[in-house]
Amino acid sequence: MILALTIGVLVAGGVYLLLQRSLVRLAIGVGVLSHAVNLFLLTAGGPAYRGEALTNRMDPATVADPLPQAFVLTAIVITLAVTIFLLALAVIGRNDDTWRIPETGEEHDR
Amino acid sequence: MTLTGPALPLFFVVPLVAAALAVLVPGRALHRALLIGVPLASAAGGAALVARHSSEPVLSARLGGFVDGIAIPFVSDTLSAAMLVVTGVSTAIVLTFALRAREDELRFFPAMALLLVAGVNGALLTGDLFNLFVFVEVMLLPSYALIAMTGTWRRLAVGRLFLVVNLVTSSVFLIGLALTYAAAGTVNLAALAGRASEDPNVALGVGVVLLALVIKAGAVPVHGWLPRAYPATSASVMALFAGLHSKVALVAIIRITSVAFGASSTVTWVALVLVVLSMVVGAWSSLGENTIRRVLSFQMVSGVGHILVGVVVATAAAQAAGLVYMVHHILTMGVLLLAAGAIEKTYGTGHLVRLADLLRREKALAWIAGLALLSILGLPPSSGFWGKVALVVASAREGGWLAAVLIVAILLASVLSMWAMQRLWHDVFWGPKMTVYRPRERGKMLESADKPVPLPDSVRIPGADLVPAGTLLGLSLVFFLTPGWWWPIASRAAAGLLDVAPYVEAVLGR
Repeated sequence: MILALTIGVLVAGGVYLLLQRSLVRLAIGVGVLSHAVNLFLLTAGGPAYRGEALTNRMDPATVADPLPQAFVLTAIVITLAVTIFLLALAVIGRNDDTWRIPETGEEHDR
Repeated sequence: MTLTGPALPLFFVVPLVAAALAVLVPGRALHRALLIGVPLASAAGGAALVARHSSEPVLSARLGGFVDGIAIPFVSDTLSAAMLVVTGVSTAIVLTFALRAREDELRFFPAMALLLVAGVNGALLTGDLFNLFVFVEVMLLPSYALIAMTGTWRRLAVGRLFLVVNLVTSSVFLIGLALTYAAAGTVNLAALAGRASEDPNVALGVGVVLLALVIKAGAVPVHGWLPRAYPATSASVMALFAGLHSKVALVAIIRITSVAFGASSTVTWVALVLVVLSMVVGAWSSLGENTIRRVLSFQMVSGVGHILVGVVVATAAAQAAGLVYMVHHILTMGVLLLAAGAIEKTYGTGHLVRLADLLRREKALAWIAGLALLSILGLPPSSGFWGKVALVVASAREGGWLAAVLIVAILLASVLSMWAMQRLWHDVFWGPKMTVYRPRERGKMLESADKPVPLPDSVRIPGADLVPAGTLLGLSLVFFLTPGWWWPIASRAAAGLLDVAPYVEAVLGR
């Protein structure tokens, strides 16, 4: 229940931030949303099982499913890379909302 | 050369290593050789696989040393092997145009393009939904950079749009994966075979994954990002994306629906709405655009609708027709986009109102573009004819109101496209003499506000700029002449989609 509520709050906050104009807020929104998705992936493995996935040391009945954890690890890496690129784009084309023209010497051509 | 299952990961590894090489080792000649050689090698490997699949329908490799169902599966059947050939050849030809446009001199362009090839090959060959997600991300990450590297002044703003849309879509993809895993306990496609039609929980999870793929493919009503994002890059990058991105998503949609759902009436209904809307809205919207490449971007949306007909009518003939249409669409879109690129490179603009009278100035270009426009409409003498004929015939065989709706939608889309293409032809190739043009400064890649200068009568598109478009058109013409040769391959690919037992057996070993 706590996990479900957390995911719900994170998705709501993420979507709210995604709908903002500023690209930095949008990047934070992407981060929040990806946290929600990662928790969701963990939930898919059954959160009641918490044991480390070491079959020779732990009782297999209490061991957590390692596959969703691998999924989450991969997803975190990918989201991190894309968020960094998003922040780089935010720096390159600053004031994109008011200045329609990027600061690269090009001019508006229409 | 005989390819065996364990060689399949090479299709991903070789472009990846080549991309690393392109970053580490300077030298334009090496970069050029890699850019053209790697996609061609991948196409050659694909051709060897197609030949191999005539005797052995499915090859698979299991990586990671885990038990079946958990190991990382690479699977090749006729569909994925044929797509390797088509994407490899079209990528190599598009990249020759990028070389002509000197885009390979941009820092990291060769590495990014090769990484894109790696992601595409991986996504075509993977047999696992989570690995599909990873390979699609491998394909998208260099695309974010490529879209921001070249093109018009709009490319940065549009790069953000492209990135945010794809990032949110990836989150949706992951949610679908989590639901599928929670319900089915696996995300291995072969282990999911038929599960979605039995268990509604699995159907929900796979459905969310399909939603994400439909957004990435750019089908109406979730197409809005595509015609805004693609035309803002350069013509060669747009041609690269047109041949790879949405096509990979489409192959995945076709594969997942046929394996996980089998014949399901729910899929038929949803797909019918998407298909009809995409065909008609795409064709209709292309009427209202004002540059060559924006018109073409909406034609891409319309093409998505045609390709997915095989998902609506789940018969062998319809699946084969959809695949044939996909090959035709890759070839023809490549021709038109590269022709648009050649025009923009010489005349400095792709705006319909600024171009005129090219029929008199550019005879070869007019032939290439004219034949490709006929091909898009489905008229002979090129690949489009067989694509549309096969779609209509396969729909008609199904009979009933479904066939009626599909055929009316295909014809309506054709008439609307004809209207749009006529307008394109009229604006670009006919009309009063062009008086001004905007020559691009030498070595300058970005479309900028070049001042209009009087157009001398001697200005012509260099012949070498038209070679890539001409080569693709030649392939399209060959495609028209050789249906007896490729139809059995398309039928075999479609048969592999309808009878998934060999696929499951090769992956799971049972």
